[in-house]
Amino acid sequence: MKTVKTIGINSNQPVGRGFNFPYDIAIKEDLGKSRTIYLLNRSNSATRMGTRIQYFTYEEDWIGEFGNPLEDDEAKFTRPVTLAFDNSDQLHVTDEATDEIKIFNSEGKFQRSIKLDSDSQGNGDRFGPAGIAIDSGDFIYVSSRYLNLIQKLTPEGRVVKEWGGTGGGPGEFSMPWGMDVDSQGDLYVADWRNDRIQKFDSEGIFLKTYGESGRGVGQFHRPSSVAVDTNLNVAVADWGNERVQILDNEGSVINVLEGEATLSKWSHEWLDVNLDEREARNRADLKVLDLPDHLKNAYHEASQTEHKFWGPVSVKFDSENQLYVTEHSRHRIQVFEPAS
Amino acid sequence: MVSIDTELVIHLMNRAGFGITPDELDSCTGIAYEDLVENLLGSKESSHIPDDVIFRDHVDLHASRSGVPAYWAYRMISTKSPLEEKMSLFWHGIFATGNSKLNNLRSLLNQIEMFRRSGTGKFDDLLLELSQDPAMLIWLDNQDNLNESINENYGREILELFSMGVGNYTEDDIKECARAFTGWSVANSEYMSLMAQKDSIWPYGRIVWHYDFKPGIHDVDTKEFLGEQGPFNGDDVIRIICSQKATARFIARHMYNFFVADEVPVPQWKDTPPRDPAAIDTLVEAYFEYDHDIKSVLRVLLTSNFFKESRYQKIKSPVELVIGTLRLSGEYNDDSKVDSSIFGVIAESDYMGQALCNPPSVEGWHTGEEWISSGALVDRVNFASQHIGNPDNDGVKHIVDRIRTDLRDDAHTVGELIESCGNSVGITRISEDTTEGVLDLFSQEEVQVKGKDAKIPIEDDTILRVLEFMVSSREYQLC
Repeated sequence: MKTVKTIGINSNQPVGRGFNFPYDIAIKEDLGKSRTIYLLNRSNSATRMGTRIQYFTYEEDWIGEFGNPLEDDEAKFTRPVTLAFDNSDQLHVTDEATDEIKIFNSEGKFQRSIKLDSDSQGNGDRFGPAGIAIDSGDFIYVSSRYLNLIQKLTPEGRVVKEWGGTGGGPGEFSMPWGMDVDSQGDLYVADWRNDRIQKFDSEGIFLKTYGESGRGVGQFHRPSSVAVDTNLNVAVADWGNERVQILDNEGSVINVLEGEATLSKWSHEWLDVNLDEREARNRADLKVLDLPDHLKNAYHEASQTEHKFWGPVSVKFDSENQLYVTEHSRHRIQVFEPAS
Repeated sequence: MVSIDTELVIHLMNRAGFGITPDELDSCTGIAYEDLVENLLGSKESSHIPDDVIFRDHVDLHASRSGVPAYWAYRMISTKSPLEEKMSLFWHGIFATGNSKLNNLRSLLNQIEMFRRSGTGKFDDLLLELSQDPAMLIWLDNQDNLNESINENYGREILELFSMGVGNYTEDDIKECARAFTGWSVANSEYMSLMAQKDSIWPYGRIVWHYDFKPGIHDVDTKEFLGEQGPFNGDDVIRIICSQKATARFIARHMYNFFVADEVPVPQWKDTPPRDPAAIDTLVEAYFEYDHDIKSVLRVLLTSNFFKESRYQKIKSPVELVIGTLRLSGEYNDDSKVDSSIFGVIAESDYMGQALCNPPSVEGWHTGEEWISSGALVDRVNFASQHIGNPDNDGVKHIVDRIRTDLRDDAHTVGELIESCGNSVGITRISEDTTEGVLDLFSQEEVQVKGKDAKIPIEDDTILRVLEFMVSSREYQLC
C-alpha cells in the first residue's frame, strides 16, 4: 500500500468542521462520481459535547453534521462506536451505552432505532453493541462487548441468529469490536481482547482465525477493526500496536503500515493563517525518534511524532480498494491505495 | 473494642494506601505487620480495571484536559499496589507540575508514570529523570536555559523545592546549577513551546514531548557548586545535591509530612523545627545508610514506632478522601463500571482544593489544616455521605450485608452497631461527640434512656444511616 492523502484536522469545538477523537467512518459512494465520508466523533467523554457525525467529501469539502447532543433525544448519541451503510444508504450507528442501533438517512435525518435485546441470555445484562456490518441482503450483524456474542438481525431488527460466548476458543469472544462482511458473505470479527480476527460464514459457522497475541508481524494487540477488500485481503487495525496489518485471505501478512501522514487540505488552510506556527513547524523535525529506552515502544513513538498512526481505531475500504485508517488520537484519516 | 493489630493494619493502609475495605482487612488476618509492609513495598500488581479497557471506553483519556486526572483516578481506585500510586501522589505534590502552563497532559502523564516507575528507587536516579522530564523542563522554562544566557528557573527550584530547601545554598550556587543544566531541553523546543503557549491543538492534536540534550547550547566551562569545582553537567550537580545532609533532611521531612503527621507548610520549614526531630534524624540516617534508596527509607518509616503511634494525626488530602471513599463504595469495582461518572467524582477533589495535574504553583499544595475551609469541609462531608449512603453501590451493599450478618443474633446494642459501622469505614476510635450524634438519629425511647447500651433491631436502613453518619464525622476526615 502507498500513501494517497490525509484528511481532517483536530477541533475541540462542539460544532463545525474538524475532528475530535474520531472513532469510525462509513463511505457513501456515488460510483464514478463522488465519495462522501461520514465520520463519528467520540469527542470529550466527560461532557460528550461534540459527540456527533460529520460528513464531507473525499476532497474535504464540508457538508454538515448530525447527532449532536443538542438535538432531539432520539437522534443524539451517548457512546457511539461504529458505522455502516445498508444497501439503501441508511446509516446505522451502534451506541453501546444505550444498547441500540440508530438509523439515519444520508442527510442525517433520524429514521428509527433498533433496541438490542440482551434478554436472550436470560440475565438482563447490558448488550453493549460495538461493531456493525451489513451484508448484501441487508442483514445486520452486531457484536456485543458485554455478552461476547454476535447477533444477526433482519433489517427490522428481528434476531435470526446468535452465536458466541465468553472465552478464547473458536467461536468464543472477549469484548468483540469491529466487523466486516466480504463479497462472499463471510463475516470477520475483531475479537479485541483475544487479540485475533475470527471468520464465520453467514450462519455463524466458524471458519478460521487470523493472528495471535503479540507485537511481532502477524500478531495483534487489541485489534479494534477489520475490513476486507474486493480481493479478499484483510486489513486489521492493530490498535494496541499502533499499526495496520494487511493479510491475504489465508492469513499471510502482505503489508504492515505504521502511518505516513501528510498535511491535509484543512491543515494547510489553518497553517496559512497561523504563520508563526507554520514557520516554527518548518524548522522542526517531527519525525525524530531518539527516545529514552523506557519510551521505545509503539505507543510512545506514535505519541511523540506526528506522521505515525496514533490510535488507529478503524479501517475501511472503498470500492477501489483504497484503505482509510481513522486515528482517534491524531484526529484524522490516512488514505492508502494498493501498490501497482 | 477493635484489636491493636487491626487498628495498626487500618492505620498502615490509610497512610500507605487509600484505606482498606472490610474484606481486604480480613485478608490481612494472620499476616505479620512487617510482612504487610514488605508486601506494600514490593507490590507491582496490576489493577482490576486495565488500561486497554479504560482507553477503549474513554478514548480521550490519553490526552484531553479532563482525561488524565480521570485516568489517574481509575488507577488509584482500582490498583492492587496502592503504595505505588501513593508515592506517585507524594512526588506529584513535591515536583508539582501543572497543565495550566503545559497544555500537554500526555507529557504530564508520562511524568506521573515516571514517579510510578522510579519513585521508590535511588533519589539520585529520580532527580536525574526529573531533570530530563520534558513536562518539568517546559514547566520551568529550561528550554530557554542557554550557555549564552542562562534561565535560572530550574536551577533555583531543584535546590529550593526539590532537594535541599531554602537556606542551604547561595545565589551563586543557583547560577552555577543553572549553568550545569544548560542544553537540557526537549526536541523541537521552539515549536513545542509555541504550541504550549498558544494552547494549540492544530493540525493533528498535541505532540507529546521527549527529552533532547543540545550540546551546542550547553555551558562546558568550569562551575563552582556547593564547594566543589569542575566542568559540571546536570548529572554532576545531582550527584553533589544528593550527597548533602540538607537534601536528606528535606526529603525526610516531606516523607514525615506525607506519611506520619502534618507539618507546617514548606515555606516555614526554614524557621520552624520539625514536629519530631528524632524521627527526621532516623530517616536521614536511613537515607545515607541505604545509599539514598527511597524504598529503604520508607521501610524504616513504616515500621518505626513514631509511625505506628501517629494515628489520626493527619487530615486526609482531598484525593485521599475521594479515592478512599470510592474504594469503599465499590462503584468502580470491575471493568464494566467504566463510564463518564469518573469525571464528576474526580472533579470533587478539585472543589475540595486538590486538582490533580494542576497544583496551585510550583510549590505544590499546602497540606494539613489548610485542606479544611468551611466550603471544602461541606464538600468533603457531602461527598462521603452521598457515596457511602447509597445502598445501590456494590461496596456499600456488601458492607451492610456483612454488618447485618455479624450482628444477626438477637438484638444488639447501638454501641455495637456504632463500632461495627465505624470499623467498616476505617474508624477505630470513635469520639463521644460522634457517638452522641449517632444516638440522636434514633427516636426510640429506649435509646434516649439507655444510650449506646440500648438494644435495637439491626436493619439495613439503620445500618446505612449509621454508616452515612460515620463518614460525616470528624474522625473520617482524619487518618
